[in-house]
This record gives sequence, C-alpha cells and structure tokens, in this order.
Amino acid sequence: MMAHYRLVFAIVISAILAWVPLAHAFEGEGQLYEAAKKEKELTWYTAHYGSETAAAVCSGFEKKYPGIKCNYIRTTAQVAYQRLAQDQKAGLAVASVIGSTDASHFGRMKQDGWLLKYRPKSLGELIESAVPYNDPDDLFFITAAGLVVITYNTSVVKEAEAPKRWTDLLEPRWKGKVSIGHPGFSGYVGTWVVQMRKLYGWDYFKKLELNKPRIGRSINDTVTMLNAKESWVAAGPSATTLQSRDKGNPLALVYPEDGALLMISPSGILKNAPAPNAGKLFVEYLFSKECNEIMVKLREESINKHVKVLPGARSLATVKTIRPSYEEIEKGIPEVKEQFRDTFGI
Amino acid sequence: MREAVHTRAVAAAPPGYRRRWRQLDKSLFVWILLIGALMLLVINPLARLLLASFQDGTTGGLTLQNYLSAYGRWRYLEALGNSLVLGISVGALCTVFGVPMAWAVSRTDMPGKGLVWAAILGTFIVPSYLGAVAWILLAGPNAGWLNRVYIGLTGAEAGPFNIYSMPGLVLVVASYSFPYMFVFTRSALDLISSEMEDAAHTLGAGVLRTTLRVTLPLILPAIMGAFIVAFLEAIALFGAPALIALPGRFQVMTTMLWQFFEFPPKVEIAAAYAMPLLAITVALFWLQKKIIARKGYVSLTGKGGERRPLRLGRWRWAMLAYCLFVTALSFFLPMFVILQAAFAKAWGRGFSLDNLTLRNLRFVLFDQSATQAATVHTFVYGATASAIALVLALSIAYIVQRRLVPFGNALSFLAMAPFVIPGIVLAIGFYAAYTRPPLAFYGTAWILILAFATRFLPIAYANSDAAIRSINPELEDAVRILGGSRLMAMRRVVAPLLKRGLAGGFILVFIPATRELSAAIFLYTTRTQVLSVLLFDKSDEGNFEILASIGLILVLGTVALVLAGFRLVGRDFMLRRNPAA
Repeated sequence: MMAHYRLVFAIVISAILAWVPLAHAFEGEGQLYEAAKKEKELTWYTAHYGSETAAAVCSGFEKKYPGIKCNYIRTTAQVAYQRLAQDQKAGLAVASVIGSTDASHFGRMKQDGWLLKYRPKSLGELIESAVPYNDPDDLFFITAAGLVVITYNTSVVKEAEAPKRWTDLLEPRWKGKVSIGHPGFSGYVGTWVVQMRKLYGWDYFKKLELNKPRIGRSINDTVTMLNAKESWVAAGPSATTLQSRDKGNPLALVYPEDGALLMISPSGILKNAPAPNAGKLFVEYLFSKECNEIMVKLREESINKHVKVLPGARSLATVKTIRPSYEEIEKGIPEVKEQFRDTFGI
Repeated sequence: MREAVHTRAVAAAPPGYRRRWRQLDKSLFVWILLIGALMLLVINPLARLLLASFQDGTTGGLTLQNYLSAYGRWRYLEALGNSLVLGISVGALCTVFGVPMAWAVSRTDMPGKGLVWAAILGTFIVPSYLGAVAWILLAGPNAGWLNRVYIGLTGAEAGPFNIYSMPGLVLVVASYSFPYMFVFTRSALDLISSEMEDAAHTLGAGVLRTTLRVTLPLILPAIMGAFIVAFLEAIALFGAPALIALPGRFQVMTTMLWQFFEFPPKVEIAAAYAMPLLAITVALFWLQKKIIARKGYVSLTGKGGERRPLRLGRWRWAMLAYCLFVTALSFFLPMFVILQAAFAKAWGRGFSLDNLTLRNLRFVLFDQSATQAATVHTFVYGATASAIALVLALSIAYIVQRRLVPFGNALSFLAMAPFVIPGIVLAIGFYAAYTRPPLAFYGTAWILILAFATRFLPIAYANSDAAIRSINPELEDAVRILGGSRLMAMRRVVAPLLKRGLAGGFILVFIPATRELSAAIFLYTTRTQVLSVLLFDKSDEGNFEILASIGLILVLGTVALVLAGFRLVGRDFMLRRNPAA
C-alpha cells in the first residue's frame, strides 16, 4: 500500500516536473536559444522602467538563458529614440531590442523601416487589455504596462481625506500642494494630459493652475516631491510610488473612481540588430512568467495574465482603467504640450 | 650638447638650405599643429552647427526659416532674457563669494585655510544637479529644512526661503561655480609680491585701501576671466535649471532648447537658437579687452619678491566665518542631505537609526554592473581630456599673449567659444562632424574625450591666459638674447614658472569633465558609459536613495584621485606660498 502510494506520488511529481517547463516554454525555444548563444550578447534600449528594474530583468534573462549577456541602456523615451536615430544615421548597429513609452515613436520607426517583423510565440500570455495595441503587421508588441493614479504622502494626508477622483485635485484645499510632471518631458504625463482633456476639457488644467501645482519633468519627480513633503498629493505612477513605499517611505495611492490611466508600452526588434536571435529570445522572455514575476516584485504591472500581484497593489483586471487611442495620443500630445505651456507658462 | 648634435646633423645638408633651416623659427611647426587641433575640436563641429542653422531639416536646402522659428515667439525671447539675468547674477554672486575667500586664503593669516580649501574642492566636485536636488530639500517653500528651522525658531507661518525662484536658481548655480572665481583669483593673488602692498603702506594707505586700490586691481584680469567662465557656465547649464526653474515656473534658454529636441527633433532650430550666444561671448571679450587695455598687470618678474601674510587681528575670525558660511551653502549642508539619503532605507522618513542601511551603496557598487565600468571610464576620459585641453590652451594663450601669429584674437575667441554652446548642442555638432569616415569616432571613447576636452577648453584657456599674462616677457627675452630658441625659452623658463598653475589647471578641467552630462548623454554607448549619465538617469526615476549613492561614489572617487594627485605633485602645491621658488 505504502509502495503503491509512493509510486503514485513519484508519477505525479515527475508529471508536474515534465509539464512545468513545457507549459512555459514556447515552440522552438531550444533552437532559438542555440542560435542566440552564438551571438553571445544583446543590447537593449529601454524607457519602460527604472534602472533597478531593467537590471533585474536583464539578470533574470541571463539566469534563464546562461551564455548570453544582456546589456541594458535605460533612459527616457525621448533620449532612447534620439540615440537610436543617431545610431541608424551613423550606420551603427548597437541595439537589438528597443522599448519606448512614447507609442508614436513606433509609428515612426515602422514607417522608416527600422523594425524587424516577428510574431512572438508567447503572445498568448499577454493580458487581454493590451492585445488591441499590438501592431497588426507584427513589427511591435506591448511588453510593459503601468498606471497613472492619485498618490499622496500619508504623514500629512489621512486616507479618508485623500482625493478620490481626478477632479478632487482641483479643490482649493490642495492649493500649493499638488505635484505633476511635464508633458514636454514625459510620455506618461503627456498621455495623462490628453486623457484629462478628453474627460473634462482644457478647463481642467485652467482650474488646476489656480491651485499652483508644482511641475517637475518626469512623472517620477512627483515621488520625490511627495517624499520631501514639498507636495502632499500628486498625479503619479503606481510602480515607482509603490517601490518607494516598499522601502518604507510614507506614500500611498488611490485608484481614481473616474479611472486610472493605463499606459502600455511597446517593444520591437531592430532590423539591423547585431543579435537578432537573442533579441527574439529576449522578447519571448519579456512575456514569460519569470520576467513578470520580477516585475511584480518591483511593483511594475505584469503583462503576463497568469502572474498575480503582491499585496498593496491591485491587479490590472480589477482596476477601472482609461486610455486614449493611438490616434488621440499621436495627434493630442503635440497639441497639449502647447496648451500646457500657454496655461502654466513653462 | 643636444644643440651641438643637431647642428652637426644639419651641417650635412646643402649650404643654402641649411642657412634657411637655421633661420627658420622651429616653433612654427608647433603652431601649425595647434591650429590643426583647433580645427578638429572647435571649428569643424561649430561650422557644421552654423551650417545646420541655415539648413532645412528635411530637404537640406538653405533657409532662414530656422531663425524665424527660433526667435519668432515671445516665450523664446523671454527665456533668453532669463538666461542673461541668470548669467550676470551668477557671475556677480561668484565674485562676492569667491574673491574675499581667495584673498583670505592667499594673503592673510586667517586660520583653518586647509578646511576652507577642502570644502571648496568638495564644492567643485559635486555636480550642480546633485546640489540642486539637495537644495530643494533644504529650501523647498513648503517643507525645506531651513524653512522648518526658521518656523520652529520664530513661530512664523511660513519660512522665507523659496528655492523655486530666480534668486534660488542663482544661489544654487553660483554655489557650484564660485570655485572658478576662487581658483582664478587665488593663483593671481599668489603671484603678487608684498612689495607692492608695502609701497602703499609706506605711503600711508590702510589695509582696506591697499587691498582695494592695489591688490584687487592687479588681479582684475583673473576676476574678469572667472566672471566670464561663471557667466557662460550658468547660461549653458541644463540639469539645475530643469530641477529648479521649471517648478518655479520660468524658462531659461537650455530648458527651452529641450523643446527643439522633442519628438520629432528639430536640430536645425536648436542650432539657430544657440547661435546668438556666440555673439554674447564676443561682446564679453571685447568688454574685457576694453577694461584692461593700457594697464599693466605683470606681477611675476625675475626680480624675486617676498610674500608675507597680512595680519588681520580679530578680523581673521570674521573672515573664517564668512568662508565657512559660503561653503556651508555650497558643500556642508547639501552633502549632509546627500549622505542622509545614500544611507537611508527610505529618506522620506528622516533620521533614525533603524532607517540606516548599506543596501543602496551595495546595489550601486555590486549589483548594478554598469557602475564599476562607468567609474573607470569617467576618470580615464576625464584625465585624458584635461591633458589635451591644457596643452592646447597653454600653447594658444602663449601664442596670443606674445603675438606670435596674426589673428591671435581669433584664436582666443575659438578657445573660448565652446563654452557658450550648450553641451547638448555641442554634442550634436560633434555627432554631425565625427560619425562619418575619415573621422568616425562615434561609438569609441575618443568622441567623449574630445568632446570633454573641447567643452572645457575655455576653462583651461582662461586659466592659462591669466597665468601667462602674469609672466614678464623680459624673462624669455633674456633667453633669446643669450641665443636660446623660443622653444628653449618655453621649456626652461615658462614651463617651470607655470608648473603649479598647470597642476591647478589640470584639476580645473578634470573635475568638470568627470561630472559632464549634457554632451555625454548623446555621445556615450554601452561600452563607454560614464557616471554622470547613470546619475542623470536616476534623477527622473524618483529613486533618490540610489541617486545619492551614485553621487557619493562620484564625489568620493574624485576626491581620492585629486588627493592622490596632490601627493604625486607635492602635497602642498595648492597651498604653497612661494610659487616661483
């Protein structure tokens, strides 16, 4: 009886062990890995996350696929694009994979023929809400997601008093205490401004100006402002804010009732990639469970639908999200930059 | 001996040729080489930039449209005006900060000179964007520490300090530029012998009158040189204005320039927008010439001279207090904030023992593989660039001062011009000039080294110019009269006299090169990453603990290297009282 039980147990275990890698690997992984190993290393330009996260994603890749070195250049979206444009003009092949938070860059890169056509085998793992934003011609695909939410410093604002809706930021009690970023510097902020204009008209920002908001560059500057207590409430990023809170900083976030802004950011493989196979393997890895578990640990949103969030954050599926279309973003961002400068004077 | 061997070698040549060779001033070749170097570093990139400013972005045809777009809006002009106000105010505040300190350290018996010097060195090493972040925490209008202290002491409703303002920006930028003023005026002061002051004393002038009427006028060229450097640095800076001016709701030229690099980038308009700054540089030089024309500033002659510290009596403590006040603003207070953040688990929690950690430093040093390579690159590139800039600057300053070639003023303008071009625009010029064969430097360390050398050539030049100005040509003439060549005069007389100034000049270029950001950010690649870029990437990540840790590594690394340099050259070369000995 005991032996029989053991045998069943062993069969179950080995079945699980055999099934696990199969379930997460994709078709042709072994071949791609062999080809990628010959290329030895790949370079990844990314604007999707902070460098701590980029470092963790790279080292996760090196652990999963030993023998391939992963170099990352983490920078802002504008600089990432500018650098890539320089490389292309100079005929230099440096990066194999590019990730930008400014979706309009991908339209331009597609038009200029810089991107390699590839349909990731792991696309089935992608969260449903991101699928419509993949390129129909398989030149770029969503590999990162983030939220813009209301954030506040818990040592000066009580949970009950915190703003619940975007329009609450216009209340006079926040005068001189609101922090936002600048659409001329940050793709996140630009998209957020486009969305607010869509919801409430430009009037929203005219009223916000009456509260004299503190305007930084990047959306992440709001985290610094809140930590310094220079501002009390902000339109901030969920990931960086939670990351900073995990370290012990007195921060919290509110998912606004009128909708958290969903930012989805594409990646693409470059046509002149010095390591095309490693690039493909890396993109597959970005969809993988391992990679997205690293993301979740560092408070980024998972784009793999099977990965669960850690306590303190809500999974994307349970949050009411809002987002302008590609066309609205592409047309809207240059417009709102001008309007923003007229209203706020910078 | 060497000369003799040389003569014998030449003697083998035909007589006519030999005579002409002997009469030819061999230093000519050096000058040709120098002009070639200036072509490479300054003229070519600037010419490309000038061309771009007249070019249509898509067709490449000639047009004036870029200038119309760059100056056709009130907002753009206002930003230029703000930059001018910023530059002049920074220059003035640097004078107020730097000159009394230099005088105190160089000419008086003030105590604690070593401490003051160390704090100024520290100030110079801290990148201004790092200092700006620290100052936001110190003087933020709502929660800045200084305001909280003020409220605690007086019970007032709000504190008086607001860093998000033009005065706030001027204070921060001046805090990180006044070391130029200090070093320039100090090296000039060190060269003045007490005899001149004694003469004034003998004729009945007091300490104050002597200082104002004799000592200060003698160092006017140095003050003006440093003023120009501070002015130009202030208007070309991007990091600190982005952190302070934007939340303060005003624009300066560099933050405005950023717009032209937004997607899709309009490099041509950016070039046009930057061009008139060259005119300002020209105007400043004209002004400097006008003011110091027809006066003598030679203080270093072959006649020796004694230098005694001035006795300040009780005032020496007041002087020390002033020095410590300025360095508190520029170094001690900001470093305190940075140290707190670098060793904090969560800096928003403030001070407590359970908030201490080494995790940030460990991450930066060991987990983030880029840091180690970037540290090595930063210091190697910085050192190479300063060596190049210094040799070039000294040679140009010498040629111009001794009027060895026609168009000397043009050379001196070229040596100063790179400073006024914002790093980001200079980077574009370099990029345009050196990405294609035959000079394809992009992707190699050389493009960074050459860009750094070019960018800080003006500092090296202003420093060398002041140094050479103070050496009496009689010393070299003595060599020439006794039959020595000009090269010999340079090797045996000028170089030894300048040795100390050289070491100071090297450090003056090396330090800014280690913290240079705006050119580096467009010219580095994975293999040539530097610390300043790493640091800047952190500045918009909202991760101040890590930012402070990288800043700390940059500061400590540079301090260690500079101290090692002191040891190598002689520990006291910065503080020695008798330069010509």
